[in-house]
Amino acid sequence: MLETARLSLRKPQAGDIPAWTAFFCTDRARFIGGGTDTDAGRAWRAFAAIMGHWDIHGFGTFTFCDKATGQPLGGCGAWFPVPWPEREIGWTIWNPEHEGKGYVAEAARAVLLHVFGDLGWTTAVSYIDPANARSIALAQRLGVARDDAAERPDREDLVYRHPAPEAA
Amino acid sequence: MTTIPHLKTERLTLRAPAPSDFGLYRDFYADAEGSGNYGGPLRSDQAYQKLCADLGHWHLQGFGKWIMERREDNQAIGGCGIVHPIGWPSHELTWWLMPEHRGHGYAAEASRAVIRFACQTLRWPNVETHMRDENAAARRLAEGLGGKVVRRETFPDGVTRDVFVLPEPEPESAP
Repeated sequence: MLETARLSLRKPQAGDIPAWTAFFCTDRARFIGGGTDTDAGRAWRAFAAIMGHWDIHGFGTFTFCDKATGQPLGGCGAWFPVPWPEREIGWTIWNPEHEGKGYVAEAARAVLLHVFGDLGWTTAVSYIDPANARSIALAQRLGVARDDAAERPDREDLVYRHPAPEAA
Repeated sequence: MTTIPHLKTERLTLRAPAPSDFGLYRDFYADAEGSGNYGGPLRSDQAYQKLCADLGHWHLQGFGKWIMERREDNQAIGGCGIVHPIGWPSHELTWWLMPEHRGHGYAAEASRAVIRFACQTLRWPNVETHMRDENAAARRLAEGLGGKVVRRETFPDGVTRDVFVLPEPEPESAP
């Protein structure tokens, strides 16, 4: 499990599901398979798959929480399902009230240190829908470079490659 | 984390789903006819999410689906277990088999082990299952397990189904 100045990052757990579901069933989740046309049952199965991904790979998406209160704020971590050509760093922030405070960048920096350091990765990408401007802006804050030659799961996606982080 | 126990029957081992089972899930769900009663056909990425979600179900509920592996050759041939997705009114004994392995009694054999596990380890009073009216094979299997229809219920997907209660089976002779 990981810690930053304001956040703790831990494996997902059942108690995260209400906040996850509230996010997954809104338009803000349209880039990750959710949206207003989905329901709590699909949100639950999607969350179960996030948990199972940890069993399959030994790595996965952390839930990042407010360190002071324990409140779950979003997900950030490593994602490598079929048919992803490479391992990805992904992120979601569940309640729009928590946007704009730098939480996702803080979580993502901790995840990048973890995967390049503890897990020994030599590269990582983020696949982002060109319409997802907030996510692209965040990737750019993390210092990514567009990699237009890389393979991608969906040909509409943009591929952003993360630099190896400097040791903290 | 819930540890997924191994169950053994005369011809089968029931074990936790593993990364190496992806091919089994992909092939099962690619076949529209064979997976039609299981939400199929699915693309390979959806089949992968299904495998991940089947593992996650154990974390969230403390029970879930096993892989059925044939003991004589360690071949994975399908799955069996108990699921209770959120939003559904009841749990369900479920089984699935690659089409070429149907008709040998594997689903009934695995089901008896799962029901016994639920009654003895989870301490449930009984296990339920339900199926669409047109799924004659599932109905025969439930009846073969000694199941009795206890109610008829309309599920959140709008389909009305018979709900069976399945009794704890007699102890199996030691495998």
